[in-house]
Amino acid sequence: MLTTGTNGKPGNTWRRVAYYKGCLASLSAKELDTSTIALARKLGLELEALESVTCCGAGDIHEAEPDYYLHLNARILSYAEATGSDTLMTVCNVCTLNLRQANWQLQKDEELLERVNRNLETVGVPAYSGSVEVKHLLWLIAEGEGYERLKQAAHKGLKGLRVAPFYGCQILRPSKLLGFEDPDRPWSLEAIIEACGGEPVDYPAKIKCCGFPIIQAREETALGELIQPIEQAQEAGADAMVTPCPLCHLSLDAWQSKLKAATGKDFSMPILHLSQLIGVAAGLEASELKFKRHVVSVEPMLEKLEV
Amino acid sequence: MSIGTEITGGSAPEPTMEVAIKIWRYDSQTGERALKLYEVEAPEWACLLDVLDIIKDRVDGTLAYRKSCRMMICGSCGMRMDGGAVLACKERMKPIVDRGHVPVISAMGNMPIVKDLVVDMDPFWSKIRAMKPWLQPGYQEPPEREYLASQEQMNPIHKEALCIMCGCCVSECNSMESDPDFLGPAALAKGFRFVGDPRDGADIERLNEYNSEHGIWDCTRCYFCNERCPKGVDPRDAIAKLGAESVRQGIDHDLGAKHAKWFVTSTKTTGWLRETELVPKTQGIVSAIKQTKFALGLARRGKVPLPFPPHVAEEVREARALHDLLKEQNRRGAAGIVQGERGLARIERTDEGGAKRDIAEITPGEEPAAAGS
Repeated sequence: MLTTGTNGKPGNTWRRVAYYKGCLASLSAKELDTSTIALARKLGLELEALESVTCCGAGDIHEAEPDYYLHLNARILSYAEATGSDTLMTVCNVCTLNLRQANWQLQKDEELLERVNRNLETVGVPAYSGSVEVKHLLWLIAEGEGYERLKQAAHKGLKGLRVAPFYGCQILRPSKLLGFEDPDRPWSLEAIIEACGGEPVDYPAKIKCCGFPIIQAREETALGELIQPIEQAQEAGADAMVTPCPLCHLSLDAWQSKLKAATGKDFSMPILHLSQLIGVAAGLEASELKFKRHVVSVEPMLEKLEV
Repeated sequence: MSIGTEITGGSAPEPTMEVAIKIWRYDSQTGERALKLYEVEAPEWACLLDVLDIIKDRVDGTLAYRKSCRMMICGSCGMRMDGGAVLACKERMKPIVDRGHVPVISAMGNMPIVKDLVVDMDPFWSKIRAMKPWLQPGYQEPPEREYLASQEQMNPIHKEALCIMCGCCVSECNSMESDPDFLGPAALAKGFRFVGDPRDGADIERLNEYNSEHGIWDCTRCYFCNERCPKGVDPRDAIAKLGAESVRQGIDHDLGAKHAKWFVTSTKTTGWLRETELVPKTQGIVSAIKQTKFALGLARRGKVPLPFPPHVAEEVREARALHDLLKEQNRRGAAGIVQGERGLARIERTDEGGAKRDIAEITPGEEPAAAGS
């Protein structure tokens, strides 16, 4: 049930974590999953993929049926705990916030944990003891041993490519629940771009919203948000943007055509998942990076790198 | 003589520090704007508001800002420091001086600037008024005895009742930047304060009104409001509580509510989001067909996974069984969010809010907020 470990060479494994893909990496953003798995192998990060888990609710179940949200996330945490790892790794901002929020609620309130565990056990899910910490891939490789390994793996380099980091919201705010870095002056993506031999491009909207959560219900409002980071990154001379969130990726990449229709501006800005950007520098295979799945072509950026 | 000893009148000289800040000065009548540096001596205990007072007293009497209580209760002194909204009376300056940092002070965002650090809060108040922020008990004649509300009944709206209406949550609201008519975090948090009040009898009417075009489902979940609120109101959470109450009461005509409900349906049936069906389930079939060209473009890139056969998580029956079980336990609506607040209130802040290393400073607030634009 809990298998598909993708460990590196024997003796080279630095860390073993439970891996929660979330919806998008399982479905429309498969390129995120394949590049994450391939990158992890290069870094000696052993992933234990969780197969029997569900969607985290993406903030929507938290809003529609919050009690169900809490239980779904408790179930995910319980299966992560069952792998024996102390860390549940995510590759999506929204999964990160939803899981961390539920985890804090359970870890800091015995009474609530007891009630949720009674319900989990009733339907055949093992009780959760509260031992797991939820961490985004970004946090595992932006400092310490992960960062050292990243620097070694990124041997091909990005040759001074100008990359605009786009953090998105739910990996920064609320910092009380996330807390990895200063939400107004984050540094982790910049550190990774530098380690890969790229040049980070600075612009104010890198910490703002891409509009994704309301892109269906309030498209006009969402596009008004989406245009800011893309326009600013382009004005700052970025060759590409990188994001740790597949939802940001989807709106930045797939909805660029809608921005063009609405404003007449053609940005043609390549958008990369975090694992893809490092993957390019680390020489991952095209079959692992899967750039063909992007809506906006990544070719101009790859040509610059002569890949 | 140092300013510190003057203010306290004490005999022993108080330790002082040299404070440097930059302030975006702005005159809405002439349109002139300038970023000016001020360097003053201040007592080590000074907050940002104290420093502004010293500048106004000693350096430039024309500096405009609002203040009143000086103790985080009146909500007058909201302004931006390095692009983030703060209460000037809450921000201690010593840690900033010790870092050698020169902060940039500017007016709050999402409201027109009147002068320097003073914004026009009329749009803010009109949104608060639109929430009908008074009790509507639902009876004409007062009862014989006063209505007693227990502490337990009032606890679910405790956080929202802490709001001092300073506007900090509105300042960086990303939805409001894009849609200035969005009711916004402060007003919606006020709305939940009444929807959740056991003495109020108008919750259905309120929820219907708050479900308007610029209401609950216009929130983009950027969480700037939770980050900025100096009182721990967590307005985004209050908006989620209004959403949860709307769904509980069957007020789910908004596309946002339909979107949220589809996640519940798809998770309990397949475990994962049924992405391809999300658009028709949210926007309806007609609108979805209008989106066909856009959708086909995505499909060519594998962004529209085929709904059949559905991608079903192993042991999805557990997720379904949980859903059935919870139906019987009556924690629907806002109660499902409120129950988690006890744990969240126990989180100790470990971060100092400081950057871990020096990088090019980003200061989204260096430009005065686009006044009236």
